[in-house]
Amino acid sequence: MVFNSIEFVIFLPIVVLLFYLLPQKARWFMLLAASCVFYMWFVPRYILILLVTIVIDYSAGLLMEKHENEPKKKKTFLVISIVSTLLVLFIFKYLGFINDNFVWLCQKLGLDVHTTVNIILPIGLSFHTFQSMSYVIEVYRGHQKAERHFGYYSLYVMFFPQLVTGPIERPGNLLRQLHEHKDFRYENISKGMRLILFGLFIKMVVADHLGAYVDEVYANPAEYNSWSVMLAMAFYSFQIYCDFFGYSTIALGSAKLMGFDISDNFRTPYLAKNIGEFWHRWHISLSTWFRDYVYIPLGGSRVKFGRWAFNIMVVFVLSGIWHGAAWTFLFWGFAHGLLHIVEKALKQHVPTLEPKSKWLSVSIDVLRIAKTFVLVTLFWVMFRATDFANMRDIFAAAVTNFDGGQSLAVKPEVWLYLGLFILSDLLLFNTRFDAWCEDKPMIVRWLIYALLIFLVIACSSVNSFPFIYFQF
Amino acid sequence: MKKLLIRIGIVAMLLVAMNWVYSKWFYEKDLQAHSDMVNLPRQVVADSCRIVYLGESSNRTYGWAESDQRKISDMVWAYFPNLRCGDMTKDASHAEIYYNLLKQIPKKSAVETVVVTMNLRSFDAGWIYSNLETPLQKQLVLLKDYPPLVNRFLLAFKAYPIRSEAEWDKIVNKHWKSDPIEFPYDFEWKTTNQWDMAMNRHGFVDVHGNYDQDLTILACHYIKAYAFQIKDDNPRIKDFDAIVDLCQKRGWNLIFNLLPENVDKANELVGKDLIFLMKMNRDYLVKRYGALEHVTVVDNLNLVRDVNFIDQNWTTEHYYAEGRHIVARRIALALKELYPDAFDDTCSVVADDGHFYFRDAISIDAAQPYSYTLDMPTADLHPDWEKVNVEFEVCQKDRSHEAVLAVQWYDSEENSNAIYYPIQDKITAVGQWDFVTFTLPVDSVLRSARHFKIFVYNPFAAPVSVKGLDISFRPAYMKTGVKGESDR
Repeated sequence: MVFNSIEFVIFLPIVVLLFYLLPQKARWFMLLAASCVFYMWFVPRYILILLVTIVIDYSAGLLMEKHENEPKKKKTFLVISIVSTLLVLFIFKYLGFINDNFVWLCQKLGLDVHTTVNIILPIGLSFHTFQSMSYVIEVYRGHQKAERHFGYYSLYVMFFPQLVTGPIERPGNLLRQLHEHKDFRYENISKGMRLILFGLFIKMVVADHLGAYVDEVYANPAEYNSWSVMLAMAFYSFQIYCDFFGYSTIALGSAKLMGFDISDNFRTPYLAKNIGEFWHRWHISLSTWFRDYVYIPLGGSRVKFGRWAFNIMVVFVLSGIWHGAAWTFLFWGFAHGLLHIVEKALKQHVPTLEPKSKWLSVSIDVLRIAKTFVLVTLFWVMFRATDFANMRDIFAAAVTNFDGGQSLAVKPEVWLYLGLFILSDLLLFNTRFDAWCEDKPMIVRWLIYALLIFLVIACSSVNSFPFIYFQF
Repeated sequence: MKKLLIRIGIVAMLLVAMNWVYSKWFYEKDLQAHSDMVNLPRQVVADSCRIVYLGESSNRTYGWAESDQRKISDMVWAYFPNLRCGDMTKDASHAEIYYNLLKQIPKKSAVETVVVTMNLRSFDAGWIYSNLETPLQKQLVLLKDYPPLVNRFLLAFKAYPIRSEAEWDKIVNKHWKSDPIEFPYDFEWKTTNQWDMAMNRHGFVDVHGNYDQDLTILACHYIKAYAFQIKDDNPRIKDFDAIVDLCQKRGWNLIFNLLPENVDKANELVGKDLIFLMKMNRDYLVKRYGALEHVTVVDNLNLVRDVNFIDQNWTTEHYYAEGRHIVARRIALALKELYPDAFDDTCSVVADDGHFYFRDAISIDAAQPYSYTLDMPTADLHPDWEKVNVEFEVCQKDRSHEAVLAVQWYDSEENSNAIYYPIQDKITAVGQWDFVTFTLPVDSVLRSARHFKIFVYNPFAAPVSVKGLDISFRPAYMKTGVKGESDR
């Protein structure tokens, strides 16, 4: 089930209503059943994969706690759990990719190999496997008590608002809340609705309208002139942001309706002044996951520059592969890692300007923001391209086709929607839509709601664009 | 809770206001962008049409080199030069679309009669669950009966079946695998899928026993397109029922135009079992709707010969002008019953060269051994004609006769030769009508004669009844020497 579907419009109110009508002891079951329905709406049989990882990690958690004073055994259970979870991820996500590369290599070596692997990636696999892993690691580290109730643990992995594309939650936040008694509070409904409305606006009105332009240009880059191609590149930056941010916001809102606070995933990432800051603001739940479970165990930043650079590169390359089983994703991760290292090296070796004028300082910040946006936009081409050939075509069309090719016009209303979003992003710098609304006069709030409701219903794209991060 | 209820009230008022704003400034633009089929009924109403024809691509012409490029509907209107008529033609549409288009015609309009295309293939799972359904259903959302803003909401939240081509195919295959086909006689294959697989496995073979890949694919396609059985729960039946209800409520006369299918090719490629099924479905539709008040079913199923089908490598209802003429005339004759004074038969000539039909039944035995007979000078044989299809229905009381199909040619009135094709092995039923088909060559021997006759001959005591003798000449479209039989 997707958030911007009529099914979800019916499903969510029913779940919320049942949640408040049922006694606390029955809520977990209802939420778990609802989450199963939500997930099985896609491909029902894939719930078995979820069940496998849930059983493994649930058991591992209990066994690790049982053998708390036997470090070797404890570690063995951790390793078994992580290897099993990663194995599931490997089979469903990476086996086809590895097979394709193996076949390609063999054929280059003159060997006649024609094996094929056709496995459909279960939706949201990368997200819930990482959420599951965070639980076992936290239990291993002693930061989290093993969950004894299988239902609650299953719900922690399967909680429907964030099951498919995150935010990737930690047990310390979500599992704890699942046990808490949640009373009906108007404030939660109000905030939840605001978030859902805002999320729907940026997904259905902004991202999907931009998506139509982007898809057209990326499908035939050579047909369009450089300006259109560059515009499509910039539009994709906003499309992916609005698409993912939209989904995360609706997830936050849906959970909030029932009183659950799940983690923010974005904080105006395109206002970042450098790539490091960008990753503090973009897909925060994934960045912090890699920080806590990969980067810091590797030594983090408290090491020499060379080692730090290595750590950074490992994290970014892994992050790239996490997104998708393709060389373009790996390359994308590598490019981000390299840029991060270069930026840090420059910072260490090139003296920083300390402007005395406030305006000069602001201007330099704007330039830094623009520079980061441009670089991130260029990197998104790797992310969006179907393969290296497509990536090459996009870059080639962007720099060589100034005089040739046709110009793809942007509908005026698309500029309006994008402008509204950019304005909202500036207004929401370091805050969230629900909180931002809080101190506005009632009339202003309701005018904003009315505008958003109207835009979502009457101006949303009628074309069907799946959430981009569903593929991961 | 009180706070919440107040907010819900405010939202409700806002929605009413928004609906007004949307209807006034946005709805029309959306209709034109996402449901432009709304213009079809609007045009019909604006033109004050009394008769409306609803059809899909069969109403268009695809014979681009033809001198007559008119649609079937335009050919029909030629019979009624003084009536205001119009068509609503939408490619790939079906009964559900027609119903929704008809609903758009206001109660107070000039419309009196609607002619609705009834395409036999549209009852097949392959069409019902075609991947074209996603865009078609999407177009219907804004035309629903709800307030415009609600329709737009449903469109925004994708309240229509969004499926990939693979997902649609999966549904189609599921139906082909599980929907039973029930013959009144013993037939080996119980589902479309089984039949299709069998044809695919055994293949279409020529007289030399050689497997023909292209014709096997085409034969399989014919099975997939026509090997189904219409039952009361078929979604299209519900749609046609809804059309009947709507027409009755509005007081409109309704004519169902059951489109011709390429029965010749179905017979040659797959065999008479498929024809039997097509006719069984035809009979179901005629029986279901033909008896209703103010409803006429014009049965054109077997009326257009293969030569008049444009697409020879696929199942379509795209006809050359002659085929469209035949359909148009049949509809015009049905309309004549409603508008006798407006009918003008001088304006249209139906040229149906090479097609001869003897509808009446005749019993033949030793006393009167000849059926109705085609007697044709060979000079009338068109140079392109290379084959002749002969189809008829036979009813035998027992199996003691040896009736044959006879082709007799005369070099002079005294000197004749004949070839006899036994029919005994082609009929299984006793005491009921069975269908027999032949495809015979129009060869140099026949052409060298002065004239020739085609008839059914039974010089035996045991009588045989023959009806619907249908003889059509046509160019060869398949390789020479192919034998049209199913693998059964």
